Amino acid sequence: MFTRVSDIDRMFGAMDLLQSRMGRLFSNFDKSYLSGPAFTLTSNSPKTNLLENGDNFEVQAEVPGISKDDLNIKIQGNYLEIGGKRSVDTPDGYKVHRNERGGSTFSRSFTLPADVDAERVEAKMKDGILYLTLPKSETAKPKQITIN
Amino acid sequence: MKERRDIAKTEEKNIEKTSELRSAIPAVDIYENEDEILLHADMPGVRKKDVSVNIDNGTLSLSGVRKFETKGVSTWKEFSDVEYIRSFSIPQTIEAEKVEAELKDGVLKLHLPKSEAAKPKQIEIKAA
Repeated sequence: MFTRVSDIDRMFGAMDLLQSRMGRLFSNFDKSYLSGPAFTLTSNSPKTNLLENGDNFEVQAEVPGISKDDLNIKIQGNYLEIGGKRSVDTPDGYKVHRNERGGSTFSRSFTLPADVDAERVEAKMKDGILYLTLPKSETAKPKQITIN
Repeated sequence: MKERRDIAKTEEKNIEKTSELRSAIPAVDIYENEDEILLHADMPGVRKKDVSVNIDNGTLSLSGVRKFETKGVSTWKEFSDVEYIRSFSIPQTIEAEKVEAELKDGVLKLHLPKSEAAKPKQIEIKAA
């Protein structure tokens, strides 16, 4: 089976590589999840982050190549819905070599940890990221209690 | 065989180095017509000054770093700081000096014009 020393050497080399890969497997487990492309054929909705700071929630969503007219955001109480359409058109007269950025329509809804004041929500788009600032409604805000 | 091992080891080192900032492969579309090749890459959150496009000896490499200034406590997190890296082999007939790049809404668009010599030509048949 092993006719040359180099074959054996190669086999052990492969085993070493496998061992180090296995060792890294768990530490890298969430890596692809946190850094992979937002829009692929397998996941059609944008990735989001939710941050909470005192009086506000901040929602960030990856929306590359989507104009603000193609997005719609609905808020009711603590329910937030981000929907939209991403169109990826082949330019006229060009032939396609590779098409990984899929066009799609999507809708994603969230239940926020507390009610928000829908009137004062601010949304802005920057570099393909949607930033939503959602002020908590008065009843949901933290209150300082004075001790008598 | 000795050589092969060295290659494997170099690859290992690179992975260790980039693990501080996660690296990701951006999704791309590539189109071509008679005059140019178009490349569109999704890089949400990357600012103009953090993108670099290099053409060297037939290799086009894209790199874009994004960093978020986040304040507050994260309730859930599905994306984070990342470096988008991807390389492509491009034909030598691309005119590297005339390559144009634009970044809009998180999408990097590259225009790679072909040199005159590489464009298809219509040959006229002369009557003998």
